[in-house]
Amino acid sequence: FKDDFSTSPHLFTPMSPYDLELPIQASSQLSESKELHTDFSSVDLSFLPDVTQDNKEQSLSEDGQETQKELDGSLPSKEDSGVFMDESSLSHPGAAEPSPEAPGVCPPLTPMTPITPATSASESSGIVPQLQNIVSTVNLACKLDLKNIALHARNAEYNPKRFAAVIMRIREPRTTALIFSSGKMVCTGAKSEEQSRLAARKYARVVQKLGFPAKFLDFKIQNMVGSCDVRFPIRLESLVLTHQQFSSYEPELFPGLVYRMVKPRIVLLIFVSGKVVLTGAKDRSEIYEAFENIYPILRGFKKPS
Amino acid sequence: RRRRRRCPECGSGSLVEDAHYAQQQLVCAACGCVLSEGLLTTTYTDEEHLREVAYSQSTGQKEQLSRCLQRGIRRVQDLCKVLKLPAAFEETAVSYFQRALELPAFHLVSLEKKELLGGCCVLVTCRQRRWPLTMGTVCSLLYAKQELFASVFLSLQRELGLSVPALSLADLVTTHLSSFRLVQPSANIPGPFLEDKEQLVARTMAIVELASATWLVTGRHPVPVVTAAAFLAWQSLRPGPRLSCPLARFCRLAGVELPPPAQLRLKELLEILLAMASQLSWLRGFRLDKKTVVKHIGELLQHRLLLLKRAFSQQDGLEQQGTGLGMGSESQGSRAVPQQQGSPWAGQQQQRGTLRPLLPPCLLQPRKRLRAAAPSAAGAAVTGDEPISDSEIEQYLRSPEEIRAFRRAKAWS
Repeated sequence: FKDDFSTSPHLFTPMSPYDLELPIQASSQLSESKELHTDFSSVDLSFLPDVTQDNKEQSLSEDGQETQKELDGSLPSKEDSGVFMDESSLSHPGAAEPSPEAPGVCPPLTPMTPITPATSASESSGIVPQLQNIVSTVNLACKLDLKNIALHARNAEYNPKRFAAVIMRIREPRTTALIFSSGKMVCTGAKSEEQSRLAARKYARVVQKLGFPAKFLDFKIQNMVGSCDVRFPIRLESLVLTHQQFSSYEPELFPGLVYRMVKPRIVLLIFVSGKVVLTGAKDRSEIYEAFENIYPILRGFKKPS
Repeated sequence: RRRRRRCPECGSGSLVEDAHYAQQQLVCAACGCVLSEGLLTTTYTDEEHLREVAYSQSTGQKEQLSRCLQRGIRRVQDLCKVLKLPAAFEETAVSYFQRALELPAFHLVSLEKKELLGGCCVLVTCRQRRWPLTMGTVCSLLYAKQELFASVFLSLQRELGLSVPALSLADLVTTHLSSFRLVQPSANIPGPFLEDKEQLVARTMAIVELASATWLVTGRHPVPVVTAAAFLAWQSLRPGPRLSCPLARFCRLAGVELPPPAQLRLKELLEILLAMASQLSWLRGFRLDKKTVVKHIGELLQHRLLLLKRAFSQQDGLEQQGTGLGMGSESQGSRAVPQQQGSPWAGQQQQRGTLRPLLPPCLLQPRKRLRAAAPSAAGAAVTGDEPISDSEIEQYLRSPEEIRAFRRAKAWS
């Protein structure tokens, strides 16, 4: 998928007339309008631990504006809070520092306000994806004799006819490493970035103890996989119709829907049970951001009871 | 040294050398008569030094289709003929194939993949024109491995930027059933088993729709659903003699394969139908089971919208699942089911007051135990830069005795 933003208009549709008229100082008002935030949150109940009831009510009342909700929900959260803040300051005329355009823009604001609680609800969906696997690489910077390693190490497996690397495992953190004769190593199976780094260091120590002058250069996280559960079933056949540009759902091949998100560049596997797997991230924030982007879209497919 | 020539026509002496296109000609300037045209060769020495134009430099290679492309196009055309597709499909499929083969992604792939590429182009064309061709059919025609076919299909979609609509179940029902031998009289089909195609198609469609509405289709392969639905439809149209015929025999008589998931789809469909039957007042007294409910499928389908509403608790999974399993619904006051049990809802279909939620089967009967949701507690403290003790590393190294024993056993070269 190319990073062609023009093909994904709905991710970047500005909330006109807002984006055009918002002054840049809106972001500077963030800290000042904190109180307004709490005031406004009398409608927004996302701070409550159980989000379900509130979201249900909101989704019922905003039935006609569901598509709008999707648009808002897909915008990156920073932009949302920026707009949100300005809205709250504008809708409370007695506020500390209203923007200069407030008097002129006030009237069209009111019909738009019901949308913001949905946006902030998606910011705190209440679900945090769990990291399941981290893949990292490191350069040990020395030529390795794989047969020698396989002979002298208990936790190594080497079958040159099948694969040209030694497969080594350690118990803590529970990981697997592929060690190549060039000195490059791939470490998989860790549940966090720090664990991956610790595991890679332990493999390097094993190689050192086996008599090779191993170093620890260019440690890099290559891929992170996370998973979570949205707790409601999803109509994949409908999702693929509305998000055709990003989705691929072939039940003859795979039971899940493959959603290739453009920003952040993450691949999501969405299943009918509501379980979501996110992969392709280089940083955990990408996983969180991707989930916050997809959650409102998935919520749109939940049947209200 | 040239003799002064005169034009044979007009006798004028003013002759001009001119080029007609690129051919030298001797032309009379007065009347335009052509005296002589350029010769093809000049002298022997010239001939020896001039080189011929190589084929690779000529345009012939570009204009002519490569053998690989020709073979591929023929294969695409053959596939279309075997599948009896409309003529227009062939053109589209061939054009996709030609476009794809030019792209670097496909130009250099193995011959095996190129053969599959042709099949993928046919499949894409059929999908776009709502012709319900399944991947299984194409794979069997090409003797292809499904994983390889899948990867070629997905890369074709990506490289050419094609939008491939989903397989339409309704169309699939119509085409799949037309290949059933039970709709035409034949020697080995008993009289009572013969069925009218229109009726069979209509009822199968209704059952497939029901399956789709009750989460039996999403995420599953479409063909087994259609097979199971067709079987139930066929049985219900004349239950008397047909109820004793099992699914396997039905497929044999119909001349179609029995896909393994069809048995499970059948079981799931029957569960749904039983739940619906329990809400139909005049059927409640019958205490139906999986066999007898088939007799009433017609009525159940007739009232399906109402029955679905009544037969299943309307609360969605979100409220039900405190821990991700299908627990009892609080509003109906059913007893709490311990998490350990596999399927809390299996036996409760016909009991009044305990309605199961309308959820995909994977949520009703979770196969995996949920892992402890807090592995992060242990991992959170890790910084990645902890000191690593020698003893920990040494546990992974073989002792000298082990090495000796290993050497003997493995006979390292």
